[in-house]
Amino acid sequence: MGEKVLMKGAEAIAEAAIRAGCMAFFGYPITPQNETPEYFSRRMPELGRVFLQAESEVASINMVYGAACTGTRVITTSSSPGISLMQEGFSYIANSNVPCVVVNAMRGGPGLGDIAPAQADYFQATKGGGHGDYHSIVLAPHTIQETADLMFDAFDLADKYRIMVVVLVDGLMGQMMEPVEFKEWVDVSKFKTPEWATVGQGDRKERNIITSLEILPEGLEKMNLALQEKYKKIKENEVRLEEYEMDDAEYALTAFGTVARIAKTVVDMARADGIKLGLIRPITVWPFPEKEIAKRAEQVKFFFDVEMNEGQMLEDVKLAVNGKKPVHYYGRLGGVVPTAEEIYGEFKKLLGGKE
Amino acid sequence: MNIGTNKKIQWCPGCGNYAIYSAFKNVVERNIENGKLIKENIVLVSGIGCHGYITNYYDLNSFHPIHGRVPPLATGMRIANDLLTVVGFAGDGDVYAEGMNHIIQAARRNTDITMIVHDNSVYGLTTGQFTPTSPKGFKGRSTPFGNPERPLNPITLMIVSRGTFVARGFSGDVKHLEYLFERAIFHRGFSIVDVIQPCVTFNNTYEFFRKRVYRLEDTDYKPNDFEKAVEKSLEWGDKIPIGVFYEEETDTYEKLVRGHENFFFNRDVPDITEILTEKS
Repeated sequence: MGEKVLMKGAEAIAEAAIRAGCMAFFGYPITPQNETPEYFSRRMPELGRVFLQAESEVASINMVYGAACTGTRVITTSSSPGISLMQEGFSYIANSNVPCVVVNAMRGGPGLGDIAPAQADYFQATKGGGHGDYHSIVLAPHTIQETADLMFDAFDLADKYRIMVVVLVDGLMGQMMEPVEFKEWVDVSKFKTPEWATVGQGDRKERNIITSLEILPEGLEKMNLALQEKYKKIKENEVRLEEYEMDDAEYALTAFGTVARIAKTVVDMARADGIKLGLIRPITVWPFPEKEIAKRAEQVKFFFDVEMNEGQMLEDVKLAVNGKKPVHYYGRLGGVVPTAEEIYGEFKKLLGGKE
Repeated sequence: MNIGTNKKIQWCPGCGNYAIYSAFKNVVERNIENGKLIKENIVLVSGIGCHGYITNYYDLNSFHPIHGRVPPLATGMRIANDLLTVVGFAGDGDVYAEGMNHIIQAARRNTDITMIVHDNSVYGLTTGQFTPTSPKGFKGRSTPFGNPERPLNPITLMIVSRGTFVARGFSGDVKHLEYLFERAIFHRGFSIVDVIQPCVTFNNTYEFFRKRVYRLEDTDYKPNDFEKAVEKSLEWGDKIPIGVFYEEETDTYEKLVRGHENFFFNRDVPDITEILTEKS
């Protein structure tokens, strides 16, 4: 680790990606994440890497798809409406088994919405968005430091599983400044072009073809089963979560990203009042920590899910709890960020004056 | 007659959008008064960018759609209701980047819509990135070392895409803009006015253009010859022409396909408040 620097989240994303060996950026301007491409536009040329502002998000994701097919570490960053435009590409990338990283700084929707922080793209990120049976690994950091660390993991996971990794943040995470310490630079001179990449065939016997098309249903089913096999492996090995004050907790908050950092304050407030509240914070929202939450269902009296959407992760929490305990929900929509006091107030209502 | 609204205008002082706003306002007010336009039948569409706010400032029905998609949305409206006067406002990022395909197809199709392009060669709302009309070498927020790409020429593009009314205006010449907007609105078929609209904050080109622009209407140029129009559109240097480059009268898409028949005009669609208050 190097020295600590004070940085905006949107810039830390770019710096971390660059250190992680990202060789190409393709993207299109959109608020609230313009600082990320801006940072890339300055740093990438300095390092002999590529920054390209494309004519649209559709072009961006197809440029990413193209670069990914050559086995190059590649990234695009955007915000909700731009990410919606990329969904076709995401689906193709999934069934082509190529690695790439996509950052979504979520803003209020639907439609043009606003530019305030929101979490309403959870469904889109974790359950498809594009067509077909596919998943991407979705990482949801809650501090700038964690975002910077996860950018490295995002590229590693993408390469390891030949999959798209989404880093799901929001406008608040992008605009906020925090001290951050970056991991060591990845030595890109040691990168090897993977065997599967569509680069010059050279003296290899078999030619490489990357496609998501298989016209025979039985053949396509085989492709799908292989994908599902991969997803199973990821579910078994890559689930990450943080449990905060959960050891003796009688009640559990569930939250991700920005809301999770507010939820930590809520836990502290409750603990100060002698209430045994804890927080379960999924770091991978896909794969979702269902086993861990199921285990806590044996322990706590109820779950309280808080999000900046209409209750999207709520569905995954409910599936994991599977009816064993009540799962309550509180959320704000359209880019409104709830305060810790507000969430704590809602929580106390659930206690019904018992404590 | 005043079609202004009491909404506070949010553009920077000196923005080229004001010229477009007042020129269009004057044209529409004048023509509503003299009966050539019917206020109820005017629909405005605006794209995404600083210019997009323009529909807030006119007391006219308007529609604020998706970035880059103004031409197809305007096309949909016009084809659905032949009585409408549809005017699309869009930025250079809108129609020459995100949705360039659409403006080409709209020109070729010749639906009776008018496109007014606020062409400031910069993404103002996202604070200063280059666009497809920014010059090579342009230093902006995403091009600290200068834009490596060559700009496209919207006038040439629109002429060769068979747009039937193609003009260029300049925000520094409001009277001329009024003339162009009026002709564009009453042109039967696809019309486009690409307005050079300096962005005082991120790309202030007023001086550059003020020194160079001249009106085609002050010369003996006639906008009725396709090849001459293409040639004229390539003039860009010490002298930059503004005015009508090309004009052609030919059947519109809706005339050819449906004989100007209206789809939805008499359809009984309930108001959203009726749907929400309906007792089930």
